[in-house]
Amino acid sequence: MKLNFMVAPDFSPDRFAGWHMVNTLLQSRSGLHLHLLTPASAQEQSELLRRDAVDLIYANPFDAAHLIRDLGFRAFARPMGKPDEMVIATAAASPLKRLEDLRPGSRIAVTDNRDVKLIGLRLLEAADLTDKDLQWVLVETFQAGARLAIKGEVDAAFFLAEIYHTLSRITRSQLKVLIESAIFDITHVLLAHQRVLSEVPAIMAALAGIGQQAADHEVLDALGIPKGFAVMQEEEAEFMVDLMDTLLD
Amino acid sequence: MHLPDMQHPPLAGNACECRLTYHDGTRRLVYCVDQEEPFPDGRLIVSRTNLGGFITHANEAFIAMSGYTVEELIGAPHHILRHPEMPKAAFADLWTTIASGKKWHGYVKNLRKDGLFYWVYATVIPNVRAGVVVSYTSVRRKPSRRKINEMSDLYTKMLSQERAAQ
Repeated sequence: MKLNFMVAPDFSPDRFAGWHMVNTLLQSRSGLHLHLLTPASAQEQSELLRRDAVDLIYANPFDAAHLIRDLGFRAFARPMGKPDEMVIATAAASPLKRLEDLRPGSRIAVTDNRDVKLIGLRLLEAADLTDKDLQWVLVETFQAGARLAIKGEVDAAFFLAEIYHTLSRITRSQLKVLIESAIFDITHVLLAHQRVLSEVPAIMAALAGIGQQAADHEVLDALGIPKGFAVMQEEEAEFMVDLMDTLLD
Repeated sequence: MHLPDMQHPPLAGNACECRLTYHDGTRRLVYCVDQEEPFPDGRLIVSRTNLGGFITHANEAFIAMSGYTVEELIGAPHHILRHPEMPKAAFADLWTTIASGKKWHGYVKNLRKDGLFYWVYATVIPNVRAGVVVSYTSVRRKPSRRKINEMSDLYTKMLSQERAAQ
């Protein structure tokens, strides 16, 4: 039986090899045939889901709400010690010193990562700014957003914190963090479609075992999840979905 | 559950004193210090209560901002944070809204254990499991200073009206 395993398109390009290594390990240890899908954009991800072509998904928390509540997926694991946080940064030379210095009409670079935009908008409430107060500049990648901020073509850029912290030292030296979220309760989740729930115990056993052999640490490091994965109970996922729901408006 | 009276805050000698009466008829002596504790940047304050409004979960930011220990919070009624400058009508609206299964948003001035206060923008949602509301989750975000000033004025007026009607 072949299972399509999709990874949400919001990981750093550096992690691409890590996901292939994990997929290989999961296959060899679970005995299941997993086909890794790495859509390049949120649109491509949506299209795969619309075609019902996904059995397992490593989803961001924003999408997890829809996948669990509307599409019949069930959470079974989450990365340990790796909450989803976001950063709002401006050019190092910018006169902006803190979030509250942003004004209506400010230009903000964003990717199509909806979690990052949603959390960023919630943080901007403290500066009395809403979605319609800002000029959004859509960029393909967080790296492109960084370039626009450094060149002063936008006032600030939104980043997934993990990716911001993996930008090169030179790039980060030309940026200034206005705020970084510290929510802790929101993470990516591993979900299984209800039609493959019978395969979850084998996958979970293989997943939980990654890290127990010496060579596994190379894989987890490549993935940027050095502590590995933990079982996620259904109620834990529901709690996170409820939390995301409070952030929608 | 009857909350014990607050201890006089050690930080300020000029704390105001007030005896609050809660919706369940219980009363509690509280002390308020006219000093704001800033909402921590980038954080969310998260708690969960059972259907009776008793706290079953509090995240680290909630514990830190409230000034209570987790042991003091778990099992306590959520009105342990009630500030005397909050009008009763605001909470009546909250409970009516969530009891009908809907999401509630509002600005709230909270009272800490040490008598200081902090403002939040709160969202409360019913937690629905298998079609049944089993608990409530409350998430608080940092409000803007403009909204705090606006709501502070509004609540002062509402409170005056409530006192005049008594």
